[in-house]
Amino acid sequence: MTENIYLVMLLLFSAGIILPILTSGSPKITNILAHGLAVLGCLAIVACSVEVFMTGGVTFTYAMGLPVGSLIIRIDNLSAFFLLALGVVGTAASIYALGYSREYYKQRLGLMAALYNCFILSMALVLTVSQVAYFLIAWELMTVVSFFLVNHEYEKTANTRAAYKYILMTTLGTVFITTAFLILTMTVHSLDFQMFKGASLTSTMRNIVFFCALLGFGTKAGVIPLHIWLPEAHPAAPSHVSALMSGIMIKTAIYGMCRFFLEFLGVGPAWWGEVVLFLAIISSVLGVLYALMQNDLKRLLAYSSVENIGIILLGIGAGMVFMSNNQPVLAGLAFAAGLFHLFNHAVFKSLLFLGAGSVLYSTHTKNIEDLGGLIKKMPYTAVFFLTGAAAISALPTLNGFVSEWLTYQSLFYLPQAVTGILPRLGSVLLIALLGLTGALAANCFVKAFGVTFLAKPRSKHAEQAKEVPATMLTGMGLLSLMCFALGVWPQGMLKLLQGVLSQFAGLEVSTLFNHQWYAAAFNIPQANGVIAMPVVVGMLVLGLIAAVLVYNFNGKPKNVEGETWTCGIIPNARMEYTATGFAQPVRRAYKAFLRTKDTVTADKSLNPYHGVKMKMTVGISYLIDVWLYRPVKKGILFLVNRVKPLQSGNLQHYIGYVLLVTVVILILGVRW
Amino acid sequence: MSVLFMIIQVVVLAVLAPLVAGVIKNTKGKMQSRRGPGYFQVYFDLRKYFKKDNVISPTVSWIFLAAPYIYFATALGAAALAPTLLFDRGLHYDSIFVLIYMLALGRFFLALASLDAGSTFGGMGGSREMFINVLVEPVMMLTLFTVAMRANSTVMSQMAGAAAASGISLSAILAAIAFLILTVAETGRIPLDNPDTHLELTMVHEGMVLEYCGRSVGLIFWGSAIKQLVTILLMVNFFLPWNPVGSLPPVVWMILKVLVIAVVLAGIETSTNKMRLFRLPGLLIATGCLSLLAIIAM
Repeated sequence: MTENIYLVMLLLFSAGIILPILTSGSPKITNILAHGLAVLGCLAIVACSVEVFMTGGVTFTYAMGLPVGSLIIRIDNLSAFFLLALGVVGTAASIYALGYSREYYKQRLGLMAALYNCFILSMALVLTVSQVAYFLIAWELMTVVSFFLVNHEYEKTANTRAAYKYILMTTLGTVFITTAFLILTMTVHSLDFQMFKGASLTSTMRNIVFFCALLGFGTKAGVIPLHIWLPEAHPAAPSHVSALMSGIMIKTAIYGMCRFFLEFLGVGPAWWGEVVLFLAIISSVLGVLYALMQNDLKRLLAYSSVENIGIILLGIGAGMVFMSNNQPVLAGLAFAAGLFHLFNHAVFKSLLFLGAGSVLYSTHTKNIEDLGGLIKKMPYTAVFFLTGAAAISALPTLNGFVSEWLTYQSLFYLPQAVTGILPRLGSVLLIALLGLTGALAANCFVKAFGVTFLAKPRSKHAEQAKEVPATMLTGMGLLSLMCFALGVWPQGMLKLLQGVLSQFAGLEVSTLFNHQWYAAAFNIPQANGVIAMPVVVGMLVLGLIAAVLVYNFNGKPKNVEGETWTCGIIPNARMEYTATGFAQPVRRAYKAFLRTKDTVTADKSLNPYHGVKMKMTVGISYLIDVWLYRPVKKGILFLVNRVKPLQSGNLQHYIGYVLLVTVVILILGVRW
Repeated sequence: MSVLFMIIQVVVLAVLAPLVAGVIKNTKGKMQSRRGPGYFQVYFDLRKYFKKDNVISPTVSWIFLAAPYIYFATALGAAALAPTLLFDRGLHYDSIFVLIYMLALGRFFLALASLDAGSTFGGMGGSREMFINVLVEPVMMLTLFTVAMRANSTVMSQMAGAAAASGISLSAILAAIAFLILTVAETGRIPLDNPDTHLELTMVHEGMVLEYCGRSVGLIFWGSAIKQLVTILLMVNFFLPWNPVGSLPPVVWMILKVLVIAVVLAGIETSTNKMRLFRLPGLLIATGCLSLLAIIAM
């Protein structure tokens, strides 16, 4: 059954790749066909994953007649979990794309739609293929297709730059992933993932595999300091693709890490987990700090993805530390926290990207300083964006809150698992820094929503905004519902995670999350607590009822309209607080990390004492760029300049080189 | 049954919160050689607010109108979660993280509302409030962590129990000092914020709610008073859990300690000046170091 659904899914996406190219005459037909097929394909992915959860994992093999062996598709609970995220987000993004693609009717729509289908297909393959060679092919397909999607609007130079940065970084990552796989393959003499379980590696080799997997997948996930492509590539892609890239594509890297750290390598030394935790906390704090500084809505969201990958890795890193300390229950809790946050982030980040896409669709600007007042022009989009913003700020009773609670909870037990005063202090600080991240995220999304949607429009673009078409609203609405559903009743997802994690040795989840329908307990030998979201919802609802009763205790009040008081002059949009201004206190307090460069220039031509027109430019520089990438870039350029004289352009020289190389090879061949 | 007790707790705390605010105001007045407003003045103010009609700017959206309700609801939720040790909850849902993020929900909407009316003061207040929160939140986590580690649980009733069972130690004293500073921060008092000012350069919380009037402002002020009482209760039950030996029931001691903290808050407010906004990071880093020392000393 699962195999049939899987094949139908492949068929639907293949049709989705071919048909748009054939129907290039009418963009409308292309749009409906391609994205309709994508919706169906994504539903098939969901069906496939549900089927696996109901009936258990499946494996099927196809002899492909290629020299790299036969294709093995294996869908276990871990794959099914990621497939579910892909299916849900993909369905919503594809419905959204039906409306959003109208923007691209004159901009190579057929190509974009075909690539879009191919992109989803490649992610589905990455999550299901269980053989090294085909996995790497699928992985590279995913990269290349998304490269073309990032570069789709190549008329803008910034997009092309972003695309090349992206392909460069991820190719570098693939080198590491390939190395990791090669070491495993050479050890067990097989390309099948299943054979890697418990591969007998020396501890040095295991460490090398660990670092290769961490660096390789970390590049794709956007872990700081390997993140530099992410904040440029995600905003450059069309918005529904950005949603998938931030929502799912970077999570496929986490899928790879789970495979390596949970399955292939097994329980490792504690410092592996500590390395992951270190990278995770840097990613989350710096990611959100940079996000808060952005005024480009999609760039802000992209940086916030870096932050959330950090939070996911906090759960995974903590789980690894617990595993090596032989605390399987706590390890299960921590991994559940990480994976739950992964699913939640997939939902709310794609929701936010779709929301940003809607803003872009109707105002044609991403600069939040030019927006404002959209809540009145686009009421539904505003509600959906607000849902996403509240969820990502971990506010109850939305899904982000539950997974952050679980993450806090697992970090709370971390000091017990480590020994020595410094590691213990470090793990205590993790909680404080996660608190800092949460507060900065709330700050960031108050700014993003408040400046974009509230008060008066700041430009003509924003004034003329209209609500987006129904298909786009449906896509966002679906994801908003998911945010509420997973927040109000997380038990279902927690049960699912129990099933996903129970297949791994080193984790013990059977005692976790068992309680009544209204509460999921994490009963750990040392302590207990429950996640009872319905109780929290009940409190808030009762509180709201009480507030309404108190408000109307003396009868309904009379509401009189009165303009905002601005000291006697008529208020206008230029008096509103700007996004830059809103972030200013944090920018100033954290200037050591942000390296702020603010300059105020006054035009003194009209008044010699103080300028009449003042202009302020705000700049920050990114530490990682300055410390890591610029020296590397300089070094490469230096070396290239040294090598350049070899390229003389003279044919005789090149023949000379060939001769030289041949001689050297001959000598080496004889000597060995 | 526990639901009934919880509702009783919420009602009692909500009713008493303005009284605690009144005690602080009155004591502050006396310390500043004034007569000070009466203990029940806050009740009179609230009654006045809830009789008024509203003036609402045409610029605002539903966010502005909904924010006071949400803020009040989260304050009540916090009151429901506050550890009083007076009844057994049965289900241990009262995690400290629920309380912290419940308050964050109210703050989030109030900060959004501050941007909604389109005035500069509102945005300034909202921006500063979120900034102070960025400074306070990590330190708050650390300080509460000292108690949670002792209880090996983040459930507040268990934390309060463990705190009461442990004796006076250096670690507990350091943590108590740290949380006292955080109480000042959370209740928006000098030196972090000034609840009595409407001077545009210094107001934070007041600036954020400047555009509100009438019943909405009543809800916000009442909510703030409840939030203040909940914070004081956290201070009392987590960081000053020791009762002198005597025949008085614990409840009486708790009330007495709440009043003592109220007087201390008034004293702090009288004896210091408001700090510049960008001096606050230093103060809170120092507070964070105190909590770290408390953890090391444990």
